[in-house]
Amino acid sequence: MEALTIIRPESLSLSSEQVRALMPYFLVFGGIMLATLLAVVKGIKPKWPVFLLAVATAVVGVVASANLIPDATIGMFNGMMVSDSYSHFFNVIFMASAGITILASLRYLDREQLQHPEYYVLVLLSALGMMLMTSALDLIVIFIALEIMSLAVYVLVGFRRTDKKSNEAAMKYFILGSAASAILLYGAALLYGATQSTNIHEILKFTQAQPAGMTPLFTLGVWLVMIGFLFKVASVPFHMWMPDVYEGAPAPVTGFMTTGLKAAAFASFMRFFISMGYGTTLSATLQAHIHDILWVSAVLTMIVGNVIALTQTNLKRMLAYSSIAHSGYLLVGLLAGSGTPGGYSAVVFYLVAYAIMNLGAFIILTVISNREDTGLNLHDVSGLASRSPWLSFAMAVFLFSMAGIPPTAGFAAKYMLFYSAIQAHETPLVIISVLCSSISVYYYLRVLVYMYMREPVGSAPASRVSMWSALAVALMVAMTLQFGVVPARLVEVTKRAVASL
Amino acid sequence: MDWFNSHVLSVVVFFPLVWAVFGLLIPTTNESGRNALKYWTLIGSLLTFAFSLKIYYAFQANGAAFQLTELAEWIPGLGTSYSLGMDGISLWLIILTTFLSPIVILASFTAVEEKLRGYYFLLLALETGMLGAFVALDVFLFYVFWEVMLIPMYFLVGIWGGKDRIYAAMKFFVYTMVGSLLMLVAIFFLAYQHKLQMGTYSTALLDLYKVHIPGGGFTSPQSLLFMGFALAFAIKVPLFPLHTWLPDAHVQAPTAGSVILAGVLLKMGGYGFLRFAFPLFPDAVATFQIPFMILAAIAIVYGAWVATVQPDMKKLVAYSSVSHMGYVVLGLFSMNAIGVTGSIYQMLNHGVSTGALFLLVGMIYERRHTREISDFGGITKVMPIFAIIFMIVTLSSVALPGTNGFVGEFLILLGAWKTSPGLAAISALGVIFGAVYMLWLFQRVMFGPVKNKENEKLKDLSFREIAVMVPLLFCIFWMGVAPNFFFRKMEPSIERFLTRSTATAVARASVPSSSSIAAFFSKKN
Repeated sequence: MEALTIIRPESLSLSSEQVRALMPYFLVFGGIMLATLLAVVKGIKPKWPVFLLAVATAVVGVVASANLIPDATIGMFNGMMVSDSYSHFFNVIFMASAGITILASLRYLDREQLQHPEYYVLVLLSALGMMLMTSALDLIVIFIALEIMSLAVYVLVGFRRTDKKSNEAAMKYFILGSAASAILLYGAALLYGATQSTNIHEILKFTQAQPAGMTPLFTLGVWLVMIGFLFKVASVPFHMWMPDVYEGAPAPVTGFMTTGLKAAAFASFMRFFISMGYGTTLSATLQAHIHDILWVSAVLTMIVGNVIALTQTNLKRMLAYSSIAHSGYLLVGLLAGSGTPGGYSAVVFYLVAYAIMNLGAFIILTVISNREDTGLNLHDVSGLASRSPWLSFAMAVFLFSMAGIPPTAGFAAKYMLFYSAIQAHETPLVIISVLCSSISVYYYLRVLVYMYMREPVGSAPASRVSMWSALAVALMVAMTLQFGVVPARLVEVTKRAVASL
Repeated sequence: MDWFNSHVLSVVVFFPLVWAVFGLLIPTTNESGRNALKYWTLIGSLLTFAFSLKIYYAFQANGAAFQLTELAEWIPGLGTSYSLGMDGISLWLIILTTFLSPIVILASFTAVEEKLRGYYFLLLALETGMLGAFVALDVFLFYVFWEVMLIPMYFLVGIWGGKDRIYAAMKFFVYTMVGSLLMLVAIFFLAYQHKLQMGTYSTALLDLYKVHIPGGGFTSPQSLLFMGFALAFAIKVPLFPLHTWLPDAHVQAPTAGSVILAGVLLKMGGYGFLRFAFPLFPDAVATFQIPFMILAAIAIVYGAWVATVQPDMKKLVAYSSVSHMGYVVLGLFSMNAIGVTGSIYQMLNHGVSTGALFLLVGMIYERRHTREISDFGGITKVMPIFAIIFMIVTLSSVALPGTNGFVGEFLILLGAWKTSPGLAAISALGVIFGAVYMLWLFQRVMFGPVKNKENEKLKDLSFREIAVMVPLLFCIFWMGVAPNFFFRKMEPSIERFLTRSTATAVARASVPSSSSIAAFFSKKN
């Protein structure tokens, strides 16, 4: 009750450390406001000013957050928010993926005749929601941040207003997403009933104080919140929305969703997961239940994602199912995280690697697609290597990375993730995971077969790549290889991030 | 120069890749650019060969277990290190790799005419991958190289291969990947055991040798881990019944791909057994010794039978690989100095002779665009030089005394006899079947009248093609008559390998006092 009823004086004024810790949020928020204003100023064409401002905001956000990673943990707003290495580390991911998405969207929006400045604002707004979500310590704040993030993305998914598929995707996503949010909120309410708090640290204290006394109310609350998160990360059986949404959304938005949205959902999920005492103070029965159910969900997610991806001929849809499969691997990491000190850092590393390679792949899809996101079937990329050798090379790097083949970030990530799972004595799970990932090799390589080993169908011209997209792709390729060959520094940073939890 | 001397292994491993990156800058729009690229690549591989000779001279057979070592931290948090080193076992495999590379590059000058830059880049990148796997002393590093190798090979088969190249490339990749990933699980488990027992993270091979894992019986932890490694290596060797990817990949690959695949990539499986699976899991080796020897014997006989009935020359050679590599596994699992020495020797032999066979098949395919045996006949009359070289390589492949094949197979059968006379006897049949399919092939292609009109105007080998074959022929005889030259460098390493691999194993009476194989052989000669 305390957290809600007593308003402490320090929660109203901010100390200088707190202001410093909140800087990235202020800066990004300021950027968003300014961009919104610029978009409605009469007499200027908003395209370039808003685009450049959005890119600048993202860069500033990345730099400001990266600077704060080494700082000590600071609680804020009566413990509702926290500024720690973990949240700032993820802030970097969110702002970077927002920035990259914006870079890759410029030419795309021109092509689709959708060059509206709202697009850039919405991407940034959604990223701000992610930032808040990751630093939120209170289920209510998590919910609000989740809604900021999701509402912006609902609009982005339906951004191709005249396209039926895009509308359908937005509608589907909106209805199912709202239902999931409602479930999460209901879970939060039940937890409040059981523990007298919505603050996850208070909830953790509650489980520590009475490990045996976990009432059905508490258990149900935990489950509902978890289901809300499982929906957001699209794990089986809550994955049905994903392929349609991914296919219907504009290609750069899909890229943004697979990276930012997924990372945010996992980041917050992980915070909740640790904070409810999994692996530490949770009662053994409840822990065993959660373990078993997540275990089954992880296995199903990997199998369903990978097996259905095998049968897809549309690249966007294939990557959607592969994204489901990657959620499965991440769940393995989550389950194993408590087994070793710093075990969760493998999940964080995986999220980074996944964000990089997936964003890169979707930028390439954006570039090679035709109007209305058509031309993304396997046979459309036949002989791409002879038309656009550099794009094909980049795509090959990303696909090898997703398949987990060295020397790429995807391999380093899988290595650490599965190694941590072995240390948590999840050997059968790891064996299932590696077998699933050998299935995935087939459909990733099939894209390469079309790109490199088949003759072009018809005489499609080489895709025109804007300078901005080229920059973004080059950056992603460089990072994929760098984190694959010398991951040591990133490992250290992820360890520090997780240690601050 | 000091830097070169202390980093010679790194130089040899990464030189081809760096050289290949510069090769990408050569424009291939006109004829002179294309030639420049070909010679650029050839020079790069020759330089690599020259560097690798430095390894030969620097290596002291009676010195430390692993020499020319290099060590640098890689990911401290996981205990992985950039750790290189070599011993008498990897020495010859390194040299085999650097020796075959210029040969296949020279052999590709006329065979491949499209997408040249990619082709030569991948060939050199592949060389880096293979050399890296042979010198890695850290399982993580080894795994990285082991997987990296797949990528260039996948593209070489898939882009420049034959009609069913895509199917073959995919099968090759997925097959190998399944085995590798299970090996990865075993690596995790082993590394974790090291952490539990020693308290620190490490994936260095020499650290992992010290880990104690309970063995004995088919389901003991050691046996399961061994199977994780063995599956990956058995697929690569390939051991019956995991060999089905090999004929497809071999037949569809371009000539250079087939030669590298047979010459070096298959050796990776044997090398993996020697370096990793055996010394890490000695008890499991004792448990699985006879089952693996049985599979090897089946591979020898079955491979030979299937080779006999192939209508396609390249497929015949591919199945002969299954048979020959069966000997390698047989020798390894006989677990005595004679058998293991023979086995390593047979790996080198197979690289030379089967490599040569694939090159010869490639040469005649370039002329006739068919490999059907029935399309040929009487080639001796039109291509005498080709016929003579083919004859010599055939005899090497059927293990005629005086050629390299004889030394290897003889030692292996001798070693296997000490462990299991019955299996040795069955495997010895393979020698006879080997003679049957090879000589029958030779007879059908070379002798008789020239039935096919198209064969009448075939040109004999060009100077370049002869230059490709001469080093291989030289090796066939050199290795046949002076095996001691090769044994001298291997011997202490093999003894060390045997001590390690039998250290905790139940005593086996059949292990001979591994006194000098070289002495044994010089007596015989």
